[in-house]
Amino acid sequence: MSTVYGAALPDEVAETPITERMSVRRLLATYPRVAVASGLLLLLVLVTLFAPWIALHDPNATDPSNSLLSPSIPHPLGTDELGRDLFARVIWGSRVSLPIAFVAVAVGLLVGGSIGLAAGFRGKLTDLFLMRLIDAILAFPALILAIAIVAVLGPGLRNAMIAIGIVQVPVYARLMRAQVLTLKELDFVAAARALGASPTRLIVHHFLPNLLNPLIVQISLSAAAAMLAEATLSFLGLGAQPPTADWGFMMNTGARFLNNDPWLALGPGIAISLAVFGFNWLGDALRDALDPRLRG
Amino acid sequence: MKRLAVGIVGVLFLSACASGGTTSTGTAPKSGGTLKMAIESELRTLDPVKSSQRVERQVYYNMYESLVTIDASLKIKPGLATSWQYTDPTTLQFTLRQGVKFHDGTPFNGDAVKFNIERALTTPSSPRKSELASVQSVEVKDASTVVFHLKKPDAALLAQLVDRAGMMLSPAAIAKGGADFGLNPLGAGTGPFQFVEWKRDDHLTLKKNPNYWVSGRPYLDQIIYRPITDSNAALAALRTGDIDVASTNAIADKDIASVKSDSSLVYKDTAGVGFGGFEVNSGSGVFADKAKRQAVAQALDRPQILQNVFFGVHVLSHGPIPPTSWAYDPSERLYGAADVAKAKAMATGFTFTMKTPNTPVSIQEATLIKDQLGKAGITMNIQVEEFGQVLTEAQAHHFDAALVAWSGRIDPDGNIYGWFHTGGGFNDGQYSNPQVDSLLEQARVAADQSTRKSLYGQAQKILVGDAAYIFIQHDPAQEITSSKVHNFSLIADSIDRFAEVWKG
Amino acid sequence: MLQYLVRRLALMVPVAFLVSLVVFSLVHLTPVDPATLILGEEHSPQAIAALRHELRLDRPLPEQYITWVTNALHGDLGRSVRTNQPVVQAITERLPATLELGIAALAWSILLAIPLGTIAALKRGSPIDVLATGFTVAGVSVPNFFIGILLILVLSVNFRLFPPGGYTSLADSIPDNLHRLVLPAITLGTVTTAINTRFTRSSMLEVLRQDYIRTARAKGASWRQVIVGHALKNALIPVVTVVGIQIGQILEGALVTETIFSWPGVGKLAIDSIFGRDYPIIQGIVLTLAFSFMLANLAVDLAYAWLNPRISYA
Repeated sequence: MSTVYGAALPDEVAETPITERMSVRRLLATYPRVAVASGLLLLLVLVTLFAPWIALHDPNATDPSNSLLSPSIPHPLGTDELGRDLFARVIWGSRVSLPIAFVAVAVGLLVGGSIGLAAGFRGKLTDLFLMRLIDAILAFPALILAIAIVAVLGPGLRNAMIAIGIVQVPVYARLMRAQVLTLKELDFVAAARALGASPTRLIVHHFLPNLLNPLIVQISLSAAAAMLAEATLSFLGLGAQPPTADWGFMMNTGARFLNNDPWLALGPGIAISLAVFGFNWLGDALRDALDPRLRG
Repeated sequence: MKRLAVGIVGVLFLSACASGGTTSTGTAPKSGGTLKMAIESELRTLDPVKSSQRVERQVYYNMYESLVTIDASLKIKPGLATSWQYTDPTTLQFTLRQGVKFHDGTPFNGDAVKFNIERALTTPSSPRKSELASVQSVEVKDASTVVFHLKKPDAALLAQLVDRAGMMLSPAAIAKGGADFGLNPLGAGTGPFQFVEWKRDDHLTLKKNPNYWVSGRPYLDQIIYRPITDSNAALAALRTGDIDVASTNAIADKDIASVKSDSSLVYKDTAGVGFGGFEVNSGSGVFADKAKRQAVAQALDRPQILQNVFFGVHVLSHGPIPPTSWAYDPSERLYGAADVAKAKAMATGFTFTMKTPNTPVSIQEATLIKDQLGKAGITMNIQVEEFGQVLTEAQAHHFDAALVAWSGRIDPDGNIYGWFHTGGGFNDGQYSNPQVDSLLEQARVAADQSTRKSLYGQAQKILVGDAAYIFIQHDPAQEITSSKVHNFSLIADSIDRFAEVWKG
Repeated sequence: MLQYLVRRLALMVPVAFLVSLVVFSLVHLTPVDPATLILGEEHSPQAIAALRHELRLDRPLPEQYITWVTNALHGDLGRSVRTNQPVVQAITERLPATLELGIAALAWSILLAIPLGTIAALKRGSPIDVLATGFTVAGVSVPNFFIGILLILVLSVNFRLFPPGGYTSLADSIPDNLHRLVLPAITLGTVTTAINTRFTRSSMLEVLRQDYIRTARAKGASWRQVIVGHALKNALIPVVTVVGIQIGQILEGALVTETIFSWPGVGKLAIDSIFGRDYPIIQGIVLTLAFSFMLANLAVDLAYAWLNPRISYA
């Protein structure tokens, strides 16, 4: 529900076990939205990978005599206050945003997932304790917790990444726990356990396949939320530090020059919006595609 | 805040201004009206003894008064004291103005002076303590005479008393205010305006003091201060008439051109008394080698920095004494122009780290300096930190270079002694030169202004040559008002005083 | 129901304890000593030691924690490092501005979202629905600081219709207050609008599928009667609870929005305090926000349990 947890859209996926899976081809064919969103994200990934070849200019090369130029052919997005090429900086900005989103989501998934698994399988006191811990994290509005963590650790991309990762933990913990609990209820699991099937076998053969769909949706939504959170922290001056070409921080600079040189803020603003939109849209479209209840 | 991040929106500059620009229209002054002023950041306290932000003085000077004050040419003139004299080099006697009452109705007298000076000296964590370090005790001779007994001669003391260290507040109001006095100083001053209310982050209101001791003043009924940290917003507010005056710094340098070109606005400026540039650590590390400091000074393209970072609003600096000071010597022009070849001949191929405060302008400046020095084969790494952190590490001498400027004092001693005397309070760079030390000590006790000027000139020549600090710019003091504001005095210390101002 | 309430409250106790521990640690995990911060440039070792003693920072941590909690329960959260103002006062005097902004944002978001979501659901698959659905995704994707900057650029810098920032209290001038409220309220309310639109739409779709709607139609009630009389009413029940949850979103958004528009509320105070390293204030704000957020969530859960009898109370 909140901008950082990743459940940015209200149809709760975490508590909805989905058993039916679809082939990728059918997904793409049935749901053009998925295809378009995937295309957008593919473009983002390509830009990230090939940034040095696309950018043409060095994103950190200053040229004071050509500062604050309007967009032109040599500088498609203009230049900033130090004469750096804004197009190059926007392109290189993807190399900050995307990896951070993935690391933060990975942290949330690993830590939150382990907590959820432990709580679900062990039950009883472990469950009670771990879930109160999760409740404590959820007691803070996500961005406020992230900002408080950065206030303690000090500004910087690494600390922003940790903070965003921590606020991602609860959603995965709950998702994982819900899946485990559903699984435990099912008859065939009880039968398998009675027959002496190992927990590992249960997890690999029954649990993981069931988990995959909601997890993919959640990861996509979390990545969007993480990018948004990183941009927000950097915009506030708590994330990326100069001269890093970071979208949020470029917006921070751009806001200063809004009166006469608005393009400083426009390029990075559009870049963040498109990237976050891509992930949210993909997550959203996938959910519709994967959830049989919503079809028709 | 004694020292300031270069370009941080809080940098104030005392400046000596010869041209005390008074806007006079020839029409008769009009009484009444509310004047609204944008200040560049929110204040923290209204208690001068606790004040550590230059912006706070914008409000103080209209509400509180000091024993002495300055005129537009920075000469000391009577304030709450009508006259003063040194009966010997360590005894300073003041005759106090009679019949002055604080806003709470209690009388201003010798006891109040003693109370205020002692309060400044004894309040824990008072930044005023060091300013009054030479004061041993204050003696009240009679209701209108007080004597300051000094530990040693101090040529800069009167100049210190002009500012917060010499501000006189009602002892009764302070007692009444208690722990919250700094937030709600009702009735504490003697100035042309008195405190009404302070809604933090919103506005601070002063109203006319009807019993002000200068008859017929002030003209205005009310002053409302609004903290506007965003230059775009301040400019828009000025244009729409939401505010009448913007403090120095409230409008960013990049927007000054728009102010100048707007016919409904008035813009004037003059160089300030502070200096900007960066500290270099002569005591240890890479810059213990004088040749490397000099190479940096020589390689810098200052005009480019002034143009790109400060949009041509600031003045090129050649040393700690600004052009508007009586002690300024225009013949000194060391390291005026960038000379990469000459710099390379001095030293090249070394690396250092610049501690840079986390403000956009500082970062921009550091990036540009890095670029310029690179051309002379000098590698500079930028380390961005919160301003307080930069200061703390600079004070611990834990740095190569640090982008830290000085807000300045109206007396040249305040710009040089603490910074460049061996072991001085602000001598983060551990600069030490016995010749400079001796000149500065002589200047401190010399009574005669022309002798002092010559001593400061000699000291400045040596320390600039040694590259004890890399001087780049003097920040301006600015008058930024709507054309409805009349009789405004641009005083060099960049504080907007409203006793004489009227709105038409 | 009562049992459910008691259980929820009991569960809140350990959570509240953990929350208070986290907030307490904020100050004690920082690399910078609070006493050094307060004294600033004038710090001498003696002065620092004296102040540490005065602030009881030289006491063992558990003792400090107990003192802090006890004081907090008595409404004393300490004093600001920068202004020496009591923390509680600093927060309460800025609360009206934040509340006004938050209420305005929520209000316009509900007024826009409910009709938009309803129409989108009724005309499922139409261009309006596609647009509305696109908006619900875009609204949560565009960062609110970018929305704020765009609004300033177009409506303030170019057309000079609204001031780019600043605040006038309602007591000083109502028209001026409202004039300055417009841009920040739009900025803050966009995310909420997107979510409410989406929720109204899906909730409406769900209701339209229900038997009683079909029955009502079969009995000859007009579409209009069905929608307004039955469907909307039932569809809005979950929407109301979602709006309750949005207090967290509004609080988060307020940090950024108030900073962009120099709106003198709690959010701007929080950001300023972070840069000023004013930890008592940061502590106070985080604690207050966490507890109001917890209480709001509890209220929402209770409301939901009450409105929806299918939920289990055990």
